[in-house]
Amino acid sequence: MGIQKDRVRFNVGGRLFETTAETLANAGRNSIFGAMFDENWTVQTDNSSEYFIDRNPDCFSILLDLLRTGELYIPVDIPEKLLYREALFYGLLAHVRSSKWGPFDGNRLQLSRSITGQAPGDGTAIRAGPDGGCCVAHGSMVHVYDWMLDEHAPITLDYQRVNDVGWIDSQSIVISVCERLGRGDGGMGLFSSSTGELRHKFQVNHDNQVKSFTAGALSFSSDCKIFSSCKGRSNEYGIGVWDQVTGKQIDFFYEPLGWSLGDADKLQWLHGSNCLLVASLFPRKDNCYISLLDFRDKKMAWSWSDIGAPTTVDEKRVRDAIAMEENSSICVVNEYEDLGFMDFRNTAGSIRWSSRSRLMKWKMPDEPCYPKLALHEGQLFSSMNDSISVFCGPDWVLTSRLGRSYGGSICDFSIGGDRLFALHSEENVFDIWETPPPPII
Amino acid sequence: MSNQKRRNFQIEAFKHRVVVDPKYADKTWKILEHAIHEIYNHNASGLSFEELYRNAYNMVLHKFGDKLYSGLVTTMTVHLQEISKSIEAAQGSLFLEELNRKWNDHNKALQMIRDILMYMDRTYIPSTLKTPVHELGMNLWRDNIVHSSKIRTRLLNMLLELVLRERTGEVINRGLTRNLIKMLMDLGCSVYEEDFERPFLEVSSEFYWGESQKFIECCDCGDYLKKAERRLNEEMERVTHYLDAKSEKKIISVVEEEMITNHMMGLIHMENSGLVNMLLDDKFVDLGRMYDLFCRVPNGLLRIREVMTSHIRDTGKQLVSDPERLKDPVEFVQRLLDERDKYDNIITLSFNNDKTFQNALNSSFEYFINLNPRSPEFISLFVDEKLRKGLKGVSEEDVEIILDKVMMLFRYLQEKDVFEKYYKQHLAKRLLSGKTVSDDAERSLIVKLKTECGYQFTSKLEGMFTDMKTSQDTMQGFYASHPQLDDGPTLTVQVLTTGSWPTQPSVTCNLPAEMSTLCEKFRAYYLGTHTGRRLSWQTNMGTADIKAIFGKCQKHELNVSTYQMCVLMLFNNADRLNYKDIEQATEIPASDLKRCLQSMACVKGKNVLRKEPMSKDIWEDDAFFVNDKFTSKFYKVKIGTVVAQKESEPEKQETRQRVEEDRKPQIEAAIVRIMKSRRQLDHNNIIAEVTKQLQLRFLANPTEIKKRIESLIERDFLERDDTDRKLYRYLA
Repeated sequence: MGIQKDRVRFNVGGRLFETTAETLANAGRNSIFGAMFDENWTVQTDNSSEYFIDRNPDCFSILLDLLRTGELYIPVDIPEKLLYREALFYGLLAHVRSSKWGPFDGNRLQLSRSITGQAPGDGTAIRAGPDGGCCVAHGSMVHVYDWMLDEHAPITLDYQRVNDVGWIDSQSIVISVCERLGRGDGGMGLFSSSTGELRHKFQVNHDNQVKSFTAGALSFSSDCKIFSSCKGRSNEYGIGVWDQVTGKQIDFFYEPLGWSLGDADKLQWLHGSNCLLVASLFPRKDNCYISLLDFRDKKMAWSWSDIGAPTTVDEKRVRDAIAMEENSSICVVNEYEDLGFMDFRNTAGSIRWSSRSRLMKWKMPDEPCYPKLALHEGQLFSSMNDSISVFCGPDWVLTSRLGRSYGGSICDFSIGGDRLFALHSEENVFDIWETPPPPII
Repeated sequence: MSNQKRRNFQIEAFKHRVVVDPKYADKTWKILEHAIHEIYNHNASGLSFEELYRNAYNMVLHKFGDKLYSGLVTTMTVHLQEISKSIEAAQGSLFLEELNRKWNDHNKALQMIRDILMYMDRTYIPSTLKTPVHELGMNLWRDNIVHSSKIRTRLLNMLLELVLRERTGEVINRGLTRNLIKMLMDLGCSVYEEDFERPFLEVSSEFYWGESQKFIECCDCGDYLKKAERRLNEEMERVTHYLDAKSEKKIISVVEEEMITNHMMGLIHMENSGLVNMLLDDKFVDLGRMYDLFCRVPNGLLRIREVMTSHIRDTGKQLVSDPERLKDPVEFVQRLLDERDKYDNIITLSFNNDKTFQNALNSSFEYFINLNPRSPEFISLFVDEKLRKGLKGVSEEDVEIILDKVMMLFRYLQEKDVFEKYYKQHLAKRLLSGKTVSDDAERSLIVKLKTECGYQFTSKLEGMFTDMKTSQDTMQGFYASHPQLDDGPTLTVQVLTTGSWPTQPSVTCNLPAEMSTLCEKFRAYYLGTHTGRRLSWQTNMGTADIKAIFGKCQKHELNVSTYQMCVLMLFNNADRLNYKDIEQATEIPASDLKRCLQSMACVKGKNVLRKEPMSKDIWEDDAFFVNDKFTSKFYKVKIGTVVAQKESEPEKQETRQRVEEDRKPQIEAAIVRIMKSRRQLDHNNIIAEVTKQLQLRFLANPTEIKKRIESLIERDFLERDDTDRKLYRYLA
């Protein structure tokens, strides 16, 4: 920046501020300060050699401190929204965002807020966005929140029941819904997260005919593909693949006989192994089917099912599954939150249930929620009733438990943008857990 | 998704709310529009950034984003069209400079406009999926300037002309060229590729097509390669100076295609300077260049390899079939080694030690060395020569190098067992006559043979060394137990294990009385210490040192063979002996006796005997006398036996026959081994397997294998299948 002298004086909304060029340099070129002091511009100073800015001086003071220290302190008498608006004016919103909460660590999480909504039904799914926002699916509606937790226009696709939601980037959300008989409605759509507009509707082609379908679980790959489990009227059962750029269907993995793909509860793209985890689980199906699909040669690289397992081990029914590529294993969980592991390099594997089993026999809540699993940078998360457990280390030791008695059981949770979002089944409420910024010393 | 990707989705027109104060928007826009004009007119110093930023902010905040955006597009377009006109008007070479200057101005202006409209760029544009300001400025420049009909072709032609001028040796303004090509790159990959790269590659292809035609007609191969290499380097340099790095691969492949691929065969076979000439003249640098250039194109190295292989095979074939060369085995092998060294050098120095070339070299040598059935014998003779005298005064490392080279040739041999036969014979001679230069060298070679062919191959050779050592101990023991023998003649016995040595069943001659009593004593001593053994004398292989007095006082010590000694000792008791007398008294086989008499009576300087009548050959009625007039400068005189170093024709036949004989049990053993594990096998497979098993030692002849199978069937090791006569079954 072409600032000649080191000291800079501002007159903001009538209040004088004095700072250094070095501090202002922290704002970066894409801020008002970066542009203002670029050599292209001859800065207009008044006779008092001050730079006048017609904005709120209180907020300027907070933001100037942010530039000075990298830390954000908002006095109670300043509404956060006002500060955000001022930060947006100066081009400092990204600075505010990154100093509001620290890098994610499952063992240091603190409950930062709970948001209550007006949706009438039970929650279906919650998904964290890449920049700290989230979206919540209730029945046929998806509510979208940005990282400031302002709600945007809700999303709906033909008012059909939503099965899954996912973020492609901070601007785009994909939702998958049930089809409506005979109308060609439903399926899968791409929406703008800020305006809620429908930008693209994905189609399934079978024998060169466009078919209506029910889209289930979603997953995205880093090379711009969208995967979804599909159920059509006739043969279109399986996993569809679309290109994120063109929105066109590029592949379809048909469900083999005696296996389940179209009803999958969970899809997970494994970048290192170049295959897709597909899990169809009880109680949506009578049996559990977990497989890894290799799309390049259209085969199941690995599969496991509990068909034929003795019914006496009923309590060991797999309710969620997640692949952990670093350990080449798949982690599963049953309704008592026992963790089990399978090695996906062995084809004939059985589940190794962790001996940690608590044989929890406490009274089940009226509306039990099945456990869910999530993995984030070597930490494993598992939700059960009204709390989330954190497991770490090679032996997955229980290290933390996030719990809150209000809102009922947790029906889904999601980690992203350095935040954890937990959706409760009752009360229509979700919690935001954050890691606080690093301590001062 | 990037902005570019997102644009693929349908955008609905923005519907803004009712405008409360239309004049506010117009007024604000006028201020901003004015500012944009001033910026393009280099007159921005009077503008207040804070005010403009605030105005743009307010327009977006009050939902006039689309007015602001469309206003920006219109204003910028108007300016760019003016700029376009001024560039079009520029004459000649000023055109490029004007374009470059205006491009720089535009970039600066665009940066300032973006600064003012930063808030719009951050909020309005992402939510409406419009093109961000900087990209918009680039797109407008592309559409209004670079793609203007009066600029597009002119720019391209001028850039291509600059490249051509540089190729023909002129100095051009690289900075300007770089800036303009960088401009095309900044406008996006597709602009660079469509508006420059593709035509550039086409023109280059034509240029190098023409140039290579010219060169191939007037240059020799080495010069052509030098020029092609220089052109490749120039093009690479050009890319680093003013093209996109991604173009390097493409332009290089154009040059490779035009200058190398299209002329590959022409270059290799070029008269008087092609590949064969380079090989003959050891042109390492040219060969290296050819390798480097040809390895860039598909099949390039394959072509070099093919020609090199056929050249080595042809020259090698000439070498091994030239009757002149066959006269001197040592020279013959030395020529082979020299030839190999030559190509080894070429591959190391010029062909980057390429494994495939080494393999080609090896297979060529294997091919032609085995064309001559005498190669195994000659290689063994070469070793013999080296180990007898050739290695005298040579350092240990050098000995190793020579031996390693010999091993290299040995590896090429298909008939390794023939080599073994000869090697054994030659080694036996060396050991028995004590002629070996260095025990270490002998052993080192045996170790090498062992690692190459396994324990079995060398066990007998090692046995020979053991025998030598044991004999020494035995002799010490013998003399220690017979102290009274000190006065008489000294007997040195080498006890050879039957089977380890290439002994021929031979008749023992009559030894002089003094010697035979001594021999009997030794026999008694030896059999006394080693019970159950048989000892037979190989008088044809021994030597003796005897003292002789010629005339009055001519004293000499004669080094002779045992046979010669027997003959000479007869003259202690007689002055004149007839051939018949000698034959009767000594019982030496006639051919050996003739040879031995010939060596003592007919060789000048060694003629300790006189013969009547004088002639070159020995006849049955010849008579012999001691040559009283024998003189020699030396006290010690070695009287050799007349032997051909090379094998004579009948001897060769014999060795051959013995080799064939030895192969039979080996082939049978292989057949039985294979059949034992396979239980049943058809004829062709068994031939293949046996050949494979034995190829480390020799190349088995299929007819011979067939004979062996039949013999095994006769002896009930195998049987034929009743229905399929080609199928054999193993009988336990």
